Amino acid sequence: MIILFVALPLIVAGVLPLIGKVSRRVLPDLLANAALLFLVVYAVAVGRPLIANGPALQKLTWLGETVNLRLALDGFSLFMLLVISVVGLGVSLFSIDYMEHYGAKANYYALLLIMIAGMNGLVLATDLFHIYLFLEVAAVASYSLVAFGLGHDELEAAFKYLMLSVVASASILFSIAVIFGMTGSLSLPDVARALRDLDAGAVVGISAALFIMGFGLKAALIPFHAWLPDAHPSAPAPISAVLSGLLIKVSGVYAMTRIFLNVFGLTPALSTVLMYLGTVSLVGAAFLALGQKDVKRMLAYSSISQVGYIVLGIGLGTPLGIAGGLFHLFNHALAKGLLFLTSGSIQQSTGTRNLDEMGGLAKRMPFTAATNLVGALSIAGVPPLNGFWSKLLIIMALIQAGHPVFALVAVLTSVLTLWYYLLIQRKAFFGKLNEKWAAVKEAPFWMTASTVFLALLCVAVGILFSLTIRTWIQPAAGVLADGVQAVIRSWGL
Amino acid sequence: MTNTWYLYLFFSVALVAAGLYALLAKRNLIRLFIAIEVVAKGVSLILLSTGFARGNVLVAQALVVTFIVVEVSLVATALAIIINVYRHTKSLDVRKLARLKG
Amino acid sequence: MIVQTALLIGLVLFSVLAIFLKDLLRAAISLAVASLFLGIVFFRMNAPYAGVFEISVVAGLITVLFILTIALTNTAEEVRESPLANIVFPLFFVVFIVIDALVMKGLLQKIPTVASGPEAGTFGEVLWKGRTLDLLGQIAVILAGVFSVLALFRKRDKHD
Repeated sequence: MIILFVALPLIVAGVLPLIGKVSRRVLPDLLANAALLFLVVYAVAVGRPLIANGPALQKLTWLGETVNLRLALDGFSLFMLLVISVVGLGVSLFSIDYMEHYGAKANYYALLLIMIAGMNGLVLATDLFHIYLFLEVAAVASYSLVAFGLGHDELEAAFKYLMLSVVASASILFSIAVIFGMTGSLSLPDVARALRDLDAGAVVGISAALFIMGFGLKAALIPFHAWLPDAHPSAPAPISAVLSGLLIKVSGVYAMTRIFLNVFGLTPALSTVLMYLGTVSLVGAAFLALGQKDVKRMLAYSSISQVGYIVLGIGLGTPLGIAGGLFHLFNHALAKGLLFLTSGSIQQSTGTRNLDEMGGLAKRMPFTAATNLVGALSIAGVPPLNGFWSKLLIIMALIQAGHPVFALVAVLTSVLTLWYYLLIQRKAFFGKLNEKWAAVKEAPFWMTASTVFLALLCVAVGILFSLTIRTWIQPAAGVLADGVQAVIRSWGL
Repeated sequence: MTNTWYLYLFFSVALVAAGLYALLAKRNLIRLFIAIEVVAKGVSLILLSTGFARGNVLVAQALVVTFIVVEVSLVATALAIIINVYRHTKSLDVRKLARLKG
Repeated sequence: MIVQTALLIGLVLFSVLAIFLKDLLRAAISLAVASLFLGIVFFRMNAPYAGVFEISVVAGLITVLFILTIALTNTAEEVRESPLANIVFPLFFVVFIVIDALVMKGLLQKIPTVASGPEAGTFGEVLWKGRTLDLLGQIAVILAGVFSVLALFRKRDKHD
């Protein structure tokens, strides 16, 4: 029952505010987290057997009539569902304690669940317009979640995010209209088949450009990144984690990848464009992250940089490159989610996000320091943590495909990334304890527990990297490497 | 594509361009949102005209209807944000929203 | 065709007016009139449902929301728009229209299409049976909007 991934969060979200009136704390938390835990277990346990023989398609009957709810679960979708559920669960657990002082927790959880339902719907969609629709569902939920604190900065960030996002949606819809006009259909397999038969190079190019503008804005690739450094720091920490860790990847990278690789087919021109876009983001954002004093702002720029890495790997188009890109997507979601959560812990305990004011926090907040270290090392690409393997895969793929310059740039940027992450660690956690923080306590239970959970996952995936790659990444990369054939052949609905 | 489609595309693009220009140039928050509405009109026009040009009006109508529903949610959220901004700054000037460095 | 073109010109005209009128209330009404024109354009394209939706929801509901917001922010002082932007716009728009028209002429017949078959069913069948997931998405987005508004207007007893 693939529809559960979308329906369950929605139903729970719909019910939550009512329950919130009855029981302010325990019941909403319990319900929301239970729902997400169920999704994680479902994805892991039920998902893999379902797709053992090719993609699982869902067709429902409702009261005797066949309703047309076409959802397709193939390797790539299952992989994304796993990422979404795991990071979603971590964030949701963290929110139990963190969102206490914001008020309206039931409402918050409802919006978070709607965002997750939207993301799940996006990765399961088989139709161009449904991709757009669920993208908007997640986006509308995210605007108010960014503004949730109702402070001046949050509202400003949310407004700018909204404005740019609308431009993105318009661009995407224009492209969809053009494709609909050319092929007469919106469903991915039909469009893929029709485009292959049509041979309409220039127009597909315009459509692809519009998609790049739209999805690039959603993924915050340079030059479309302007909204992210404001929106992610201003949002409450768990929401920053979901935005950086999930939303930019699902509504940006996943949608673009699915359409470009499985529907348009990755032409050399498209591949070059993607690789350059990825590299510009990778390098540019890394430099922009350097001077930041606000820890969350630095993390936000780092997200732009790492998404550039992912796009570079996927844009390369070789099976190894795609696998590396997808693995990095997974690792970054875990690690960046973790880092934003720990920054939330710091902000809650010390009341500041300014790195200059922190110092020596490791003595007072050992768990937070340790998990933060794991996250930072993971993103910086230090073995044996997960980030190291995914970056290595991408670099190897670049060298293999004959792009040594790209590989060199990637390596140098990794070194830069490592440097400033270590700098952050030293400034915030090690060194002399700033007297202001002498009475600071470790973060409350659920916040610590969720960060430990994500940190352990980073370590586990790093050690068991070949197992992870074989079970989760390979099927996903296989679907993408198959290109247009994967969708035409097996999504025949 | 039939020739009439290009006529609709012409007007649709004009609408979107006017809306985007206003998004860049205007300062009043509510006016910025009116600009977004204009862009949305352009988009729904092109969606329906494409369906019309292909004889697929029913599907296009479903798309436009859904898009309008999305638009309503968007407007509600955005206006809620605008009202909250007004409560903070007592002004509808977008230049007051320039504290973050971007 | 002439009527349709006239309606479309009216649509663009009132939309531009909506952006450039100084009085916000008049701007909102101008937007509503533009929606009316668009709705009629839809009707004439054999799309009555889209036309109805456009008129009742965009010209109706959204205009009401706009007027509500304008009323709630009434005591804000006049936001002086940049005079340069107002002067540059006609020039920009005319140039844009000309380029637009030329590009359209150049693109005529250049976009290949797959031939389309006849359309089956009624609108109800297409929407409910053909695009059911759209309805689920609509429910989701409406929920998102409702909860957003509830969250953004909640009572704040203590806030950091």
